[in-house]
Amino acid sequence: MSLLQKLKNRVRSKSIHVCFVDVGSCNGCDIEVLACLAPRYDIEQYGIYVHNNPREADILLVMGAVTPQWVDKLVAIWEKIPEPKAAIAIGNCPISGCVYNRRDSYIDPPAAKHIPIAAQVPGCPPRPTEILAAILSLAPTIFENYEEKKR
Amino acid sequence: MSESIIWYLREFLRTEWIRKFLLAKTDPLVTPPYFKDYPTLTGKECTACYQCMMICPAPGAIAVLRHDDGWRPEIYPGHCIRCGLCVEACPEDVLQSGRVLEAQHRDRTGFRATFHLSIDREICMRCGNCCISCPVGREGEPDGAVLKIEKGGVQILNSDLCTGCKTCEVNCPNRGIRVARVVEGVQEAAA
Amino acid sequence: MKKTVDVSIPIGPMHPCWKEPIRLKCETIGERVLRTEVELGYMKKGIERIMRGRPWQEVMFLAERICGICSVIHNMVFIEAMEGISGIAVPPRAAYLRVVVNELDRMESHILANFSYCYTIEHETLAMYLLNVREIVLDQLERITGSRINTAYMIPGGVRFDITEEDAAALLAGLARVEEDVERYTRMFATSYLIALRSRGVGTMTREKAIEAHAVGPTGRASNVPECDLRLQHPTYQKLGFTPVCRTEGDNFARNMVRFDEVMQSISLIRQCIGQLPEGPIRGGGACTAGEITYQGEAPRGELTYYIKSDEYGRIIDITVRTPSIMNIEACTHHMINDVTSVADVTSTFISSDPCVACTER
Ligand code: SF4
Ligand code: SF4
Ligand code: SF4
Repeated sequence: MSLLQKLKNRVRSKSIHVCFVDVGSCNGCDIEVLACLAPRYDIEQYGIYVHNNPREADILLVMGAVTPQWVDKLVAIWEKIPEPKAAIAIGNCPISGCVYNRRDSYIDPPAAKHIPIAAQVPGCPPRPTEILAAILSLAPTIFENYEEKKR
Repeated sequence: MSESIIWYLREFLRTEWIRKFLLAKTDPLVTPPYFKDYPTLTGKECTACYQCMMICPAPGAIAVLRHDDGWRPEIYPGHCIRCGLCVEACPEDVLQSGRVLEAQHRDRTGFRATFHLSIDREICMRCGNCCISCPVGREGEPDGAVLKIEKGGVQILNSDLCTGCKTCEVNCPNRGIRVARVVEGVQEAAA
Repeated sequence: MKKTVDVSIPIGPMHPCWKEPIRLKCETIGERVLRTEVELGYMKKGIERIMRGRPWQEVMFLAERICGICSVIHNMVFIEAMEGISGIAVPPRAAYLRVVVNELDRMESHILANFSYCYTIEHETLAMYLLNVREIVLDQLERITGSRINTAYMIPGGVRFDITEEDAAALLAGLARVEEDVERYTRMFATSYLIALRSRGVGTMTREKAIEAHAVGPTGRASNVPECDLRLQHPTYQKLGFTPVCRTEGDNFARNMVRFDEVMQSISLIRQCIGQLPEGPIRGGGACTAGEITYQGEAPRGELTYYIKSDEYGRIIDITVRTPSIMNIEACTHHMINDVTSVADVTSTFISSDPCVACTER
């Protein structure tokens, strides 16, 4: 492994930019992601920054049970994120559709049908600590040796 | 303007603030004991009464499965919304989650579920799917069945034997038979 | 002067200030924004359609998940409507516990709304302070109900868990911390020169306009419409002796101050409830039956209406929900964002009316 690659690995695992997109949730999960910003959990001490801008994001947090309006837009947002990237499904909604996944609803879960999902955080809503643990456990493995793997 | 600056100065000169600033430490990321997490097994024996499945509000969250050494409920994270209703509904205390079981014993609370069948005679085409699919009383004598086709229509023989599983409702091609799960929250008077 | 529009600026559906997807179209001349138009439809899940044909134990969870921030009030209004239909009486202890949990939820929601506002006007210090206070409130909610959000606490005929002596003591201790902190932050907010520049006199809505647009909740009460607080009609609140908070300015500043004051008011209501908590059972039983009702309650964002029709086993035949954000978003786009000086004020004014897209579209 080249020195440059080592440096990149190190930098990438210490600076993760997160973007979240709400594709039809009850916003319970949104506010739990926001709660991660609170000084109690302090997501920024791990080098995770919530910017909500797909163009500079590394990790996309998907919340909600994919409503018809979002089917194409979610893919568009996913394509705007520069490589290397990963998506995490937060909450039951993008995993299974939660309680909305019944006859007569408009939603189209799971989110994995539309974009590749690297990890899932089940719960309705998951605790901020669970969200934090998921991002932290995923980040080093997904971004490690990205250039070498690509070749 | 000056008032505002004074406020900020006072805010940042509090001893508490200075101490926190110098000794900043995030709270330990612990889960409090009263958090209702996914239900876990207590090790007591499950009698396969399906009360937990009947009350669960989330689709596909819980299933009571037969293992070599008996029945056991299984919770599926990703579907379960951690509401704790199954813990309260179970008469045998097989499941537990957070402080739910403890509070239930302390307050003597519980749920009472009854199941009612209603048949829409106009929609029903007397195919008998419901009677065949109903799992109750299959191996036993025919008197133990809930439903039977008789006198040119579906008759409800023993409605108190119904376990509310909705198998008949799912198998009915017309939604002619419907199962109502009526649940009451009850509390015994303190002894 | 003929007003011609230079350019129409879209804000959203993904925007750093929006937590939920919504799109505003701003028609601008130079820096000034003349009009805005709101575009909804990103969150429609059809919850009311899913609810039909289901008994209360399933609909309760769907109702809660109409909005995750004010989940308790959706639970409460739905359950009280079902109780109204079926003639189920609530034990007094349970009625007081409901008020405790509802007020905790209101505090949490108001603090979050003020956090969003401070974050939008880029006052991050105060925003983070508020977010940290909210954690204390959520701890108390978790202590009583077992979850932070989507608590599923109320059931027909009572509540799910009783509150013990230790829990009540811990709750009061937590509230004392919140009170001390929120009081300081309120003064920081009220006296700050920079916040006043961004908030005072921005997005003003008069009482006439507020009544015309049917603004509800803190948005209405900031424009001097105190009668829009439906807690005045709730029997338990009437017993507690309750007067709504009200301000006259009707601008962004007033809306945030109303929410700060209501947090303090909620603290005193909870203290009163814990002080007067009667002994007795917490569940009375009783099955849901057939009937029809229109029931209203005061959500953190304003008036929440449920129309319910049920069959003889308590299954929902028809249900309609009207949530407060519908009126507030309309009032905001028509009467507040009128000829404001810049696009930055559009976002802050919109956030100050505390819009909740999930419950608007359901
Ligand atoms: S998983 Fe639950 S809390 Fe999260 S958005 Fe879905 S319904 Fe809301
Ligand atoms: S906790 Fe609730 S959602 Fe989970 S399995 Fe039990 S009843 Fe179902
Ligand atoms: S309610 Fe309890 S005893 Fe009955 S099937 Fe479920 S886990 Fe087993």
